[in-house]
Formats: sequence, C-alpha cells, structure tokens
Amino acid sequence: MKKLFVLSAVALASFNTQAEVRINGFANLVGGITSSDESLYGYDDTMSFASESVFAVQVSADVNSKMTATGQLVARGKNDYEADFEWAYLTYKATDNVSVSAGRLRLPLFKYSASKDVGYSYHWINAPRAIYDVNFNNLDGIRLDYNNYAGDLEYNLQGAFGTVSNDLNTSVGPARLQVDNLMLLSAEATYNYLKVRASYVTAKASVANDFIDGTIKAAFRDNGLDELANNIAFYDDTATFTGFGIEYDTFNWFVGGEWTQIKIEDSFNPTNTAFYVTAGFRTGKWTPSVTYESFDGNNPFKFLDKVAALPAPFQPTATAVVVGLQQPFADEYSVINLGVRYDLDTNVALKADISKSSNDMNSAEDATLVRFAVNYVF
Amino acid sequence: MNMLKINLHLRLISAVIGCSMSFIASAELVLVVHPSNDASLDAKAAQRIFLGKESKFSNGNDAIPINQGPDSPNRAAFDTDTLGRSSTQVAAYWSKLVFTGKGIPPKEVGNDAEVIAFVASNKDAVGYVDSASVTAAVKAIPLN
Repeated sequence: MKKLFVLSAVALASFNTQAEVRINGFANLVGGITSSDESLYGYDDTMSFASESVFAVQVSADVNSKMTATGQLVARGKNDYEADFEWAYLTYKATDNVSVSAGRLRLPLFKYSASKDVGYSYHWINAPRAIYDVNFNNLDGIRLDYNNYAGDLEYNLQGAFGTVSNDLNTSVGPARLQVDNLMLLSAEATYNYLKVRASYVTAKASVANDFIDGTIKAAFRDNGLDELANNIAFYDDTATFTGFGIEYDTFNWFVGGEWTQIKIEDSFNPTNTAFYVTAGFRTGKWTPSVTYESFDGNNPFKFLDKVAALPAPFQPTATAVVVGLQQPFADEYSVINLGVRYDLDTNVALKADISKSSNDMNSAEDATLVRFAVNYVF
Repeated sequence: MNMLKINLHLRLISAVIGCSMSFIASAELVLVVHPSNDASLDAKAAQRIFLGKESKFSNGNDAIPINQGPDSPNRAAFDTDTLGRSSTQVAAYWSKLVFTGKGIPPKEVGNDAEVIAFVASNKDAVGYVDSASVTAAVKAIPLN
C-alpha cells in the first residue's frame, strides 16, 4: 500500500515536466568481531558484516511547489538485506517556517534520530545503543515542524501524533508492541556552538507475548486476582519518554551527551534510564572520539507491596510470578567506546572503533568488540 | 548530493597558513547577485542561505544559492571562511538534511564564469566568485 503510494506519487510527478525527482542513497558497511566466546550487538568471535550494515535509496519528488513525496527503501543486513520502505511520507510546506509531514516517518526522539541510519552524518560507527535502541523510532502518523531564528539563536519545534506497531524479540520469545495515541513534543535550540534539546512523549502502549499473557492468566486471573493481573500486565498502559540533549561543537572539537528515561509504571516493564557522553576533535581528515554510555533498567521489583497485601497462601506463588515476569527485562550495563573517523572523500568516510561493554548484572556478558566501517552517501 | 571531492592541495595550504593570514591563501571572494537585486546581504545572511536555513533575501524575494563544485578552489575557501567548516563537514551537514527530507543542497556549477552567467540570467540567484572575476553583468557584494 505504502509502496504503491510512493511509487505512484513519484510517477505522477514525473509526468509534470517541472517536477524534479531526486535520488539519493547511503550505505554503511560495518564488520565486527568480539574477543573469544563473547557476543555484543549481534557480533561474535568470527568476523561478520550482517548486524549493522545498511544500504538505502531515497527517492523524493516535488508533487507541486508546496508538496514533496519521499520514500526511503532500506535493506538491513540483520534482515538478510530484504528491502523495506521504512519511510514513506508526504510533506506540505505551509510557510517558510512550517511544514507538515504525514505517512510513515522518523519520530524525533533524539538528537540524531533523523540521521540515525546515515553513518556518514556522525562520528560514530553507530549511534549509542543505550539511548538509540528503542522499539518506536518510526511513526505512522503526522509530524509538524516549525523552524525559525532570532539573531544567532536558531530554534526548532516539532510535534507528532500517531501509532507504532512493531514485532519484538524478547528473552521470553516473540512479542508484538502496539503504541497508540502517541503524542510527541520536542524543542531544539542552537546558539553559535551550543545546541540543547528536549523531547517528551506520552502514549498508550501494549505488549502481547504468549508466555507473559499465559502466565498472568494462569497465576492471577484464573485465581480472581484481577487487580494484580492488571498491574503487572503490559496492556494499554500509559508510557512516557523524556529526553534531554546538549552539545557544544566548535567544528575543531566537540563534546555532547543525551539522557533519556522510558517509563511504563503500570506494567512488568522496568523504568529504563540511559545516557551517553561523547567528545572528540577534528584534525585534518581524522576525527578521534571517546564515548561512554550507560543503561539502567535494573530497579527494585514493582508490585511486591500488592503481593504482601494478598492472603498468605497466595503470597509465595504470587511473589515468584511477579518477580519472574520482571527479572527477564531487567538490564544494567555500560559501554566505553574509542573510535576514529577518517574522511576519505567528501562522500566517503572510513571508521574503526573498539567497545568494551560491562554488564552490571552478569559479568559473564562483558564483551570487547572491534568494528570497521565504510560510510558512503550519494 | 553530487559526487564531491576534496581539493587536497588547498586544504593543506589553508591548514598551514591558517585563517589569520587568509588573504594570502586565496584572492578575495565576493558575493554576486543579479543587478536588480536590492536585498542587503552579508556573510551571515550568505551562511544561512547556503546552509538552507533561510530561503529568502532580506527584501522577501526567494533566494537561490549557486555553489561551486568541490574541485573549485573558491569552494574550499567559501566553506572554510564563510560557512565556518570544512567541505567534509558541510557534506555531513547536508547528508543529515537530505535523508530527512528537510533540505536540498545548493545547485553546483563549475567555476566563476558559470556562476556569473547563472546569476546574470536569474534575478533570485546568489553566488560567490573571486573579486577579480566580477563583470558588469552582476552586482558584487563584499563578504566582510
């Protein structure tokens, strides 16, 4: 449906002699290998390229002087390079400062959300996973962009509304994420070398998984413990996302960071708090950098107070289930990354980095990863 | 984006000489517009227009920036002195905008003569050339 829509919009536009059809693309070829018997980001101790390599082509066409149709066809190594229209949207430029986009588009959660897949646009091989690996990066809906400046202060406001549906792989099997009534507000301001941003999202979210749903039914609903079942279930629950970012970039050197928190209080899902800080400098064609990222989704177990209020015979089983549903999703780790970018040409960059990951819950999952990348844009 | 190439020699020269002595590195660049264009323009306004942050002149007319190709020595000087970043960083900047549907980099032509020819025939165009290349067909505006 979306493919047809984009292709027909492009075809339609090309019948108009005034229409301009632009084709751009980008490629990230990323290879990595961990030290013996370790795994990180989908790599193991044999060299592989599938985990993070991406090839993409973007076609955009001016439907008329105010409206543009854009489609981005993306092939990811982790999906066996099956190409998929990850973005397909129409943009209406209402004024010089305001544009409205509708379709499937990137949600502006983070500083690098929009160009997260375009390795060429930043100094890393990949944006820090602790922050950027969320399951709701692409939105089906509408986004409003407002840009303006006053003197040296440039500012950008974005609002978005829509839904997200995604298949997830969890530690307890495949799951389906459904996010409805998602509302986002984000603001970004740039003053000379300084850039700050903030974003906030609220939504109703559900995760469906056979194991989780079956466990909640058997342990709680079948025993009349509906209140506890509703507490622990991840169904139509209020989810919030809060993000802050700051960056100081003189073009010779830069330092920046982001902080995010995702909360779905009334569910088994832990509150996830993450941040990264990064710094580097540019000397000729070289950009060495260092990044530290931290992810904390390891909280005291929720709802144990509700379990304690149950009649004593229920408590041992209820405790086991309440803890058992939360434990698989608890995670706490940090990664230190040293990387270098080399600008081979004005559309090709070579990169190498080493990442050392420390898992605070299970040191057996600590890993060291070396990666190499070629980023290309055209 | 077009296929871009860095001019190695110029980058080295400008790196060695540094910005304090930029008058040695290259002849002086000036902005050129159509003779009928009465907008006020300076380096800051040119930076906004060439980075796609502003689409209009101060008089409200549409602004069409005309860049020089990556092999032109004037391009490297313009990127460094007026846009404040290297040609590579400018390319990375545009890669962000292009792949988010937020902007299209300026049209590129090969040299000063082509810039002047384009600007002379388009009342909305703005380009940059070596001050020695300016002809009566265009209006020159100093960048400093």
